[in-house]
Amino acid sequence: MQKIKFYGIGGQGAVTAAKILSIAVSLHQSEYAITVPAYGHERRGAPVFAHIIVDDKPVLLNCYVYEPDIIVVFDENLIDMGVNVGEGCTEDTIMVINASNQEIVDRYKKEYGLKKVYACNATEAALKNIGLNIPNSAMLGALAKSGVVKIEAIEKAVTESFGKVGEKNGNAARYAYEHTWEA
Amino acid sequence: MAIKMFDGNGAAVEAIRLARPGVIAAYPITPQSSIAEHLADEVAEGKINAEYIRVESEHSAMSMAVGAQLTGVRVATATASVGLALMHEVCGVAAGCRVPIVMPVVNRSLVAPWSLWCDHSDTMAERDTGWLQFYCSTVQEILDLQLCAYRISEHENVMTPSMVCFDGFYLSHSMQRVDTPSDEDAWDFVKPYVRKNMYLDTKDVMFINDLCPTVEHTEMKYQQKVGFDEAAKVAKEVFAEYEERFGRKLQAVETYCLEDAEVAVVTMGSMSGTGKYVVNQLREQGIKAGLLRICMFRPFPAEEIKEALKNIPIIGVVDRSSGLGAAQGPVCSEVKAALSGMDNKVFGYVGGIAGRDISDGSFRKIFGELLDIHAGKADAVTTWFDVRPDAMDMREVETNVNV
Repeated sequence: MQKIKFYGIGGQGAVTAAKILSIAVSLHQSEYAITVPAYGHERRGAPVFAHIIVDDKPVLLNCYVYEPDIIVVFDENLIDMGVNVGEGCTEDTIMVINASNQEIVDRYKKEYGLKKVYACNATEAALKNIGLNIPNSAMLGALAKSGVVKIEAIEKAVTESFGKVGEKNGNAARYAYEHTWEA
Repeated sequence: MAIKMFDGNGAAVEAIRLARPGVIAAYPITPQSSIAEHLADEVAEGKINAEYIRVESEHSAMSMAVGAQLTGVRVATATASVGLALMHEVCGVAAGCRVPIVMPVVNRSLVAPWSLWCDHSDTMAERDTGWLQFYCSTVQEILDLQLCAYRISEHENVMTPSMVCFDGFYLSHSMQRVDTPSDEDAWDFVKPYVRKNMYLDTKDVMFINDLCPTVEHTEMKYQQKVGFDEAAKVAKEVFAEYEERFGRKLQAVETYCLEDAEVAVVTMGSMSGTGKYVVNQLREQGIKAGLLRICMFRPFPAEEIKEALKNIPIIGVVDRSSGLGAAQGPVCSEVKAALSGMDNKVFGYVGGIAGRDISDGSFRKIFGELLDIHAGKADAVTTWFDVRPDAMDMREVETNVNV
């Protein structure tokens, strides 16, 4: 069982990304997932969380993730917005972060005592491939580096989910996967 | 059969599509909105051959639904929270006129204070309105129970509408794999809607829902009561047929590790899986814990519950609504009544209000307390198990401080 928590900002598609991750593991890896979104009453601009539990058997747990195996940070500014992405993390927790540079990654590692980090400039990947600052597909590509899901499964799920812009989103996921570094 | 991906609202829309409604009237409300929206999409794209009537409120939505179904078509609507509260009057009309509407209700807290998040206060407030109530624990079950609800509600001995209740966000927005029957197989099971008894027809006019004199009114209620009695039997048959056709077991009451249990919790809705997870953990430690999930709350399966719990000494019932002013939450009241005269000790818990998460930690705390009682180390539980200690200091208003 892998417990995953997404941290994003309203409008970045973190809740949608959680649903697509569920599609990727369920349809394209024959596994199981539950997703529980949690966002404030505000929409764009407010912190957004999504809780995902993935397993190779049906998932009984249907609640929030308190001790994540993986955290996915959709926006590098969250550290300055009073959002504690390190909550419940141990040094074994993997962080996947949308980061523009290594310095910001190091700040997160130091602040939250994280050791295993995959970083990716998902914003750039999204702008380059989709032409929009919506990093969710790219972040799913970066997440595939952690091994919880295969990049092929993510590509398929992303492409299916976004209709007319499916291919562009699939490209963003692949591009991000290939440009993710162990930080 | 095919594995498809749906969130809870998507599964409800799929079940509605499979049941081929002729009229849809729904008013969007969080967290039900995507049901109203996707039904509109399905009609626009020709996937559902229905008249989609835009309405200005839930009161109108249910009024449309009642009128339309009385003409002899299956109708669809859906709601949540205060939307259901606004429907309350017309829900009684649907029930009393024996219009077997099947309605998904996405559970969300009632006012005040305002909340968008999950609890059962909305449907608990409707528990005596004359509707059958089913509570889902997974997205799969939303599809399964809704398809069954058409058959149960529309049965000539039942003729009683159904609420298919599922938890806002925990199920409505959880994307899960759903084993989905083909259009043909689902239609073969659900069958076309056939109006029975009262109907609206401009060529054959009759009064419906007129002022009923006292000398007949009790009898009308008695007919409804008999409908509920029959619903319990019909549900059993329909669930059995569904399992035979589609391979998934549905039951009014689900038991989990209860045979030799010394302590057990009673749950309803999306918290149930988390409860089972904790039962598994406790069993691995050699602790005899169990769980009973109520899937059909109306008609209340008192006999099944009594049979399943009779030998379990310590029981905790988790209510996801406050039951203000009552001796305990509404589910606990009913479980206690079902077990009256037995020797078990039944303790009520209230929590998960307005989206407060009922976690594995919550169940570990509850089981811990029940085990202490079983061991004779305690004689009371923390009824409001997740209330903050500073509850009485919050939002205190200091009036007239500047006067």
